[in-house]
Amino acid sequence: MGKLTIGCFSSLVGSLSLDFSIKLAEAAVAKGHTVDYWMSGNATMLSKKGQKAFKDYSHLAKPVQTLLATGKFNITACEACAAARGYHKEDTMEGVKSFSMDWYLASTFEADRVLHIGGD
Amino acid sequence: MKLGVIMSDYRTGSDVIDRLTAEKLGIIFVGNGVYHAASKEAGKASSILDKTNNLYVLTEDLESRGLTSANLDSRVKAITYSDVVDLIFNDYEKTIWL
Repeated sequence: MGKLTIGCFSSLVGSLSLDFSIKLAEAAVAKGHTVDYWMSGNATMLSKKGQKAFKDYSHLAKPVQTLLATGKFNITACEACAAARGYHKEDTMEGVKSFSMDWYLASTFEADRVLHIGGD
Repeated sequence: MKLGVIMSDYRTGSDVIDRLTAEKLGIIFVGNGVYHAASKEAGKASSILDKTNNLYVLTEDLESRGLTSANLDSRVKAITYSDVVDLIFNDYEKTIWL
């Protein structure tokens, strides 16, 4: 089993690439791999607590919480990107970490595979 | 290098594909990229399909656009998220997102 690091540098909640990356993380964890997931830029919105599910609208908070419960999924938001958008520690979903980009760089160096999804 | 490309758009990215060289190239169509695998313009299939023999499309994204495997170009294989994970870990050393 290996480690996959996914960096998502784009995409508000509801966007296609954010949906794809979380579903890919689910599939990787289901196969026994571990996943490090980094959110940068607008993707940090995924770290916000209090996300409400609506019918026929993307709701990724629940799958993220399910992934966290496996112990094989680490998710971290860029602290500067989040703070710049008004998300602070008290606004962050339980289990989601907040660090500088050093965390992402260290993870990519340790990972067996990296998927970097660029900004839009 | 064995290089996997996840292609998520229909209108952009082709120019990048043209510039890539790899010992083995694989292209996985996801999101709106699935139209490369399942549509024709002026009767012609997407020129991206001529770049390699290793062509895949994410079934979920195909079906969410009202398309099925019956719409697929015969060179493209329909796969699941689980298959994408296997391709990333087993078939390609690097994977890029377009």
